[in-house]
Amino acid sequence: MQGFTKRNPVWALLIALVAAVFLWLVFAPWSSGMEDILGRKRVFLNAIFGGVTLGALYFLVASGFTLIFGLMRNVNLAHGSLYLLGGYIGFEVSERTGSWFLAFPVVFVVVGIVGIVLQNQVFRRMEGEELRQTMVTIGLSVVIADLMLWVWGGQSYTIYSPDWLSGPMTLPIVSGISDSGEVIYLRYPAVRMAILFAAIVIGIAMWLVLNRTKLGMLVRAGVDDREMLAASGVRIQYVFLAVFAFGAGLAGMAGIVGGTFQSLSPGEDTRFLLASLVVVIVGGMGSIPGAAIGALIIGLSEQLGLVYAPTYSVVFTFLIMAVVLAFRPQGLLGERQ
Amino acid sequence: MALAEHRKTAPRGLWIERIPGIWWALILFLLTMPAWANGFFLFQVMGWTFILGMIALSLMFLAGYGGMVSLIQMSVAAMAGYMVAIFGVSGVGDISMGLPWWLNIPIAIIVAAIFGTLVGALAVRTEGIYTIMITLAIAAAFFYFTRQNYTVFNGYSGFNLVVPPELFGVDWRQPMPFYYLTLGCAALCYAAVIYVSRAPFGLTLQGVRDNPRRMAALGFNVTAHRIAAYTFASVIASVGGILLVWQNSQIAPGTAGIPAVIDILVIAVVGGIKRPIGPFIGALIYVLLRTFSPDVLLAFGLSGERFKLVIGLGFLAIVFFSPDGVLGLWERWQTRRSRNHDPLTGDPK
Amino acid sequence: MTLVENSSAADRLASVSSGNALELRGVTKMFGALAAISDITLTVRSGERRAVLGSNGAGKTTLFNCVTGDFMPTGGTIRLFGEDVTRFPAYERIRRGLRRTYQISLLFNGLTVADNVYLACRGVSRGRFSFIRPRENDALLTRSDELIEAVNLMPWRDTNVSNLSYGQQRQLEIALALAGAPRMILFDEPAAGLSPTERAELVGILNGLPGHIGYIIIEHDMDVALRVAESVTMMHNGKIFKEGTPEEIENDQEVQELYLGDGHE
Repeated sequence: MQGFTKRNPVWALLIALVAAVFLWLVFAPWSSGMEDILGRKRVFLNAIFGGVTLGALYFLVASGFTLIFGLMRNVNLAHGSLYLLGGYIGFEVSERTGSWFLAFPVVFVVVGIVGIVLQNQVFRRMEGEELRQTMVTIGLSVVIADLMLWVWGGQSYTIYSPDWLSGPMTLPIVSGISDSGEVIYLRYPAVRMAILFAAIVIGIAMWLVLNRTKLGMLVRAGVDDREMLAASGVRIQYVFLAVFAFGAGLAGMAGIVGGTFQSLSPGEDTRFLLASLVVVIVGGMGSIPGAAIGALIIGLSEQLGLVYAPTYSVVFTFLIMAVVLAFRPQGLLGERQ
Repeated sequence: MALAEHRKTAPRGLWIERIPGIWWALILFLLTMPAWANGFFLFQVMGWTFILGMIALSLMFLAGYGGMVSLIQMSVAAMAGYMVAIFGVSGVGDISMGLPWWLNIPIAIIVAAIFGTLVGALAVRTEGIYTIMITLAIAAAFFYFTRQNYTVFNGYSGFNLVVPPELFGVDWRQPMPFYYLTLGCAALCYAAVIYVSRAPFGLTLQGVRDNPRRMAALGFNVTAHRIAAYTFASVIASVGGILLVWQNSQIAPGTAGIPAVIDILVIAVVGGIKRPIGPFIGALIYVLLRTFSPDVLLAFGLSGERFKLVIGLGFLAIVFFSPDGVLGLWERWQTRRSRNHDPLTGDPK
Repeated sequence: MTLVENSSAADRLASVSSGNALELRGVTKMFGALAAISDITLTVRSGERRAVLGSNGAGKTTLFNCVTGDFMPTGGTIRLFGEDVTRFPAYERIRRGLRRTYQISLLFNGLTVADNVYLACRGVSRGRFSFIRPRENDALLTRSDELIEAVNLMPWRDTNVSNLSYGQQRQLEIALALAGAPRMILFDEPAAGLSPTERAELVGILNGLPGHIGYIIIEHDMDVALRVAESVTMMHNGKIFKEGTPEEIENDQEVQELYLGDGHE
């Protein structure tokens, strides 16, 4: 970060300024004059938190995608299908066992195994043929989507979170002042805060593994120079398997989250694949912090857009992507090839 | 295939004489098809084949000659279709401007070509494998935008009652005239691609595909050539798009939805992206499967809706066993056949 | 044998601007924390034939890559025929008379010899975006045939590059560098992997180039290098170590210790 500040003092100042204004908007009570211009603070806060928690969901899906591309140069366009598959399986598990929490490890293992099979039986035979691998992922996504349609049909499914997580919780953020002068604090769905917390924990854990463990070092070396890593005697296939399994499992778990926040239905796979694409284009390929920042930006722009300019909220997202592509094609935190 | 023959060989005949016999048989077959095929086959099956073939041809041009796999072709085609509806006549009177065909068609092609060029400008500055991602994301943006915008694109409903102009007293939407119209356009686009591939434009594009670093070191502006390729490909896709809106007599956001975008890629890859005839072969296979597989599936006791599964599995099989598509299979079969025959006498070994 | 175009324009330019073909001032290229080349200052006059020598890793190819524009230097300026080209993309430099051959041949494997040379000629002339196929008597086609003849590749004119032998590919590599009206050519180890006969041919081609064309040659084969160069620059660890005539360098004590004696690879 210090390097960035030194090299780009103007940008660093701008970002610090925006962050300061933003924090003030969130934490300081709004005067009635402000509320006339900007609308009610509660609406604003809901949009912000909605964006941040949506960003958490996008991060969970996109981080697996970016790892798989960063290391194996495989644009896995079946990633969205893995997300939806995980969601459906999670639904089945939570329906039958009544436990929301149990769904997570089961889905992680099942979808992770699917990932292992794919990497070992399919992609390994096409080592180095990036385009062909991508084509296979497209074919797989079509096949898996139709199979899921066959089994679960076209209706929407929602996964129910456990009772003690359902319902709102109170946050230490001022959302308004009542007529009697009492301070009203923001109340927000507890399950969304739990997911946000979990995403942050997972993100930090991933960062730690990547930067502080031997396995992580192997993965980072492989992202930098795959041939060198293989030439140095490392069984690179095991590293690939581990990364693909993890990325797939993570996407599957994200499916459970999406099924809880929103719902599961055909078409959600495409939607989350596209979200992953945009997040990774904006944040930078192969970068976990990039995926986090990209997910945050996209989540916020989508929610804020939905609240304040509903007709064109989706366009904002793609506008951001186009601007990044035009001025910094490798993504915000990506490495220039 | 050389640019110009080595001076010592005998002078070559006209280019017409160099077309092998099998092509003449095909041309004759296609020209006389209305004599024995019914209206449905001409309009739906062959019309669709030529239209999808043209759009997939524009993908093949970028991928096969330029090394850039772009998923924006269907969106460019849809943009052209929308422009014909918006600048011409349609059932949505408040938006359509009613300009005559000799205005709305060129405008549509120009607007769509500009759109394709802009997308190309965004997509070419990154490594090859990114192109798929970026063009897919932009295609999705196009879909969502046309679905949400009501002032220009009429949102969810799109435009209906968009028909070809009545020229020379012919209703071009009748099966036989439409068949010849699409056949003619497809043949023109095909010929254009073949011709351009050996002109400096096409040759430099292939050089850029094979070795962009060397091309830069030979004095070529590699980025400009790639973007220009998108422009050329967009013109071809636009022609397909205009014919598409005339065939359906309507256009809606779903025309360029993600499934349709992926279908074009499937068509190009299944047929083979190395030669321009590949996309048309792929389109024929796709259209035949789509038209007849529900009946075949029902005969096997499965729901007719599972044809997507059939296409997906077929696509997977092709990518696995023959990444060059059907054309690749054909070429390998030819090579194996010639290896099994004595090169002098042609007898089997 | 018209090896190079009768480019009277280039001749006139060379006599008018008898200035320097290439001027590097303080050129540095960092890769992360590694300085591949640092503070390179050298001048090559028009028509001068210079050899750049040094052990592996001395930074010779990096120097070439900065001059051609394959990557931008981290610091310093590069002037080509008096013009500051430090921030120019590669193709702009090529269009001003710079050419380059590569240590490992960079050819178009999917195309024929004729197509390769045609592209080289096309790259430095107008009509790159032309949609019209060249006719039989096209000037560029004639020109590329002359070039193919000059490097003795005419029998393989319509062969795919992937079917050529190593030596033939190296010859094609040279032909590409001679297309158009080159004024300064960078040869990166042109003798690598060639047989003694082929080496002799190479020396013949280099010495036979018209006087207004200067070149810089990177070579490990001292025999070839000292026969085709009139001045030598020695590099070591990314810096310029010594400069002089071939005789001076051959007899220099320090050079012998470093390059020919103890430090010899």
